[in-house]
Amino acid sequence: MSPLQFAWRSLSRQPARALLGLTGVAVVGALLFDMLMLSRGLIVSFRDLLKSTGFDVRVTATEALPGMGPVVSDAAATVETLRLLPELAAVVPVRFGVAAVEARDKKTHELAIIGGETRRRGEWRLVQGADLGEGAAGRPDMVVNRTFARDQGLAPGSIVRLASTLPAREFRVSGIVEFPFEAAGERMAGVTLNGFTQAFPAARPDEADLLLVASQPGVGTEAAVGAIRRARPDLHAFSIDEVLERLRQAEFSYFRQVSFVLATIASFFALLLVTTLLTVSVNQRLGEVAALRALGFSRRRITFDLLAESALLVGGGGLVAVPLGLLLARVLDSILRQMPDLPSRLHFFVFEPRALALHLGFLVLAALIAAAYPVILAARLPIAATLRRESIS
Amino acid sequence: MAIVEARGVGKIYPMPAGPVEALRDVSLTVAPGDYVAISGPSGCGKSTLLHLLGCVDTPTAGSLLFEGRPVLPMGEEERSRIRLRRIGFVFQRFYLLPMLTAWENVELVQSEAGMPAAERRARTRELLEYVGLGERAGHRSSQLSGGEMQRVAIARALANRPGLVLADEPTGELDDETGEQIGDLFDRVNADGTTLVIVTHNAALAARARRRLAMRSGRLAVSRTMVAP
Repeated sequence: MSPLQFAWRSLSRQPARALLGLTGVAVVGALLFDMLMLSRGLIVSFRDLLKSTGFDVRVTATEALPGMGPVVSDAAATVETLRLLPELAAVVPVRFGVAAVEARDKKTHELAIIGGETRRRGEWRLVQGADLGEGAAGRPDMVVNRTFARDQGLAPGSIVRLASTLPAREFRVSGIVEFPFEAAGERMAGVTLNGFTQAFPAARPDEADLLLVASQPGVGTEAAVGAIRRARPDLHAFSIDEVLERLRQAEFSYFRQVSFVLATIASFFALLLVTTLLTVSVNQRLGEVAALRALGFSRRRITFDLLAESALLVGGGGLVAVPLGLLLARVLDSILRQMPDLPSRLHFFVFEPRALALHLGFLVLAALIAAAYPVILAARLPIAATLRRESIS
Repeated sequence: MAIVEARGVGKIYPMPAGPVEALRDVSLTVAPGDYVAISGPSGCGKSTLLHLLGCVDTPTAGSLLFEGRPVLPMGEEERSRIRLRRIGFVFQRFYLLPMLTAWENVELVQSEAGMPAAERRARTRELLEYVGLGERAGHRSSQLSGGEMQRVAIARALANRPGLVLADEPTGELDDETGEQIGDLFDRVNADGTTLVIVTHNAALAARARRRLAMRSGRLAVSRTMVAP
């Protein structure tokens, strides 16, 4: 009978205790798995969002993150200069602004407007109607998100009147779209640069908050960033990885710290639980262990039996922990995503094979450490003294 | 050659209140085919002597030879191997593994000794028939009576064809009638060629042995050899 078979039979001897142990390991394992997903979830999710736009480089005027610092002046000339670089496939100037619209209930609501060019890549995803064009004279085209369309009862062909301009400017809705970074409940619209100037007459016409850049296929992001830095050392070019690194060190570090603390606590409880179960189990059968040793079972065999028992408890609980953790992550994710101003496509818990591998690694380590004390207890058991004590008791 | 030979062995246990001398200058030779019973009051050192003879423990004085080889220089692993292959143990509390069937309890020690599966199966079947439990092979210890459990334990002790079987109060947990049946079984085991050393309070069981030893205060007091009938 192999140590694993022997361990299985030992556990099945007290099924309620084994089940309790498995459940405990599954619950703390699920928490551990969730914390591993949380530790990189925002970064991975944000990376996916950035990549979904189809642009792998962001160019701003200063080191501030896109949309958070001074604008790029001489935008048209800058765009022309960059478009000449052979390393770049596309350069798109983008503007951000917040206008006001009057809702059907006569209340005024904020409308986030993105100004750009006709869609080149993944600036948004068309859901209904037509994409952005230059529009009819006097009424530039506008694409709106579903929240705004639902609030205002808009459909392709509807007219949007901005309440923040005097006189009020009108836009024709060409289509309903989904913006990658739109937050839940946020009203968003996209217009051309010309339309943006009409929506915000005070804005300087030749400026851009951000330049979205796509590198040439096969050239690589780093080469594109290098080319921009050489051509325009006064500007700041960020690859997606560089943006993520800055977020990792600042905005997202809180979640990493929380996940690290909770993962450590979860690991500690898993260790404590399995160590306690095994130690209690060994203490209850000291006589049996001593008898097995007297019958000629080696210390190594007793050690393997206990390690196998620990592995079954931790492994069984750890396997259940994966689907349980995924389920728990969905619930926690839906709660956390209710935080205001977060892109609705951003997730806190993201499954990665790396998280699963780490989870399994932690469990193997936990099984070994948890078995250490009971193994020492059993392997160093004085056989004769234990048999004598057991027969007296 | 003797199976086991103790020469002037002593055993001192270090205790918090001071060392306790459990055995003093005990010499004993167990020859192949012997049937030895050791009796004496509680705490006189019977079990300690049995543990020394079974290479479970080592003496603090004197020397011990098992099948001609000195036990003291052996490491724990080597003594484990000797216990597994050359010695069988029968305990007062049986110590059958409750999650295993009678069959599995007997087979386990053979498996640990590396016996091939086919040979194991044949040997287990043979032994359970031998102790009269062929029909109870699939029962767990909780489904067996005390006498049946001790029979399984005896089958387990014989599983690896040991040169020596040691039994520590094998009828201590049994009623007189069941104790008699276990005594009969030991007689048969010895008659079939297995050397037996039994520690017991049971006078009837001790009376079955050809050599009866009495112990008192860690010393062998009397040695009486009976002529085989």
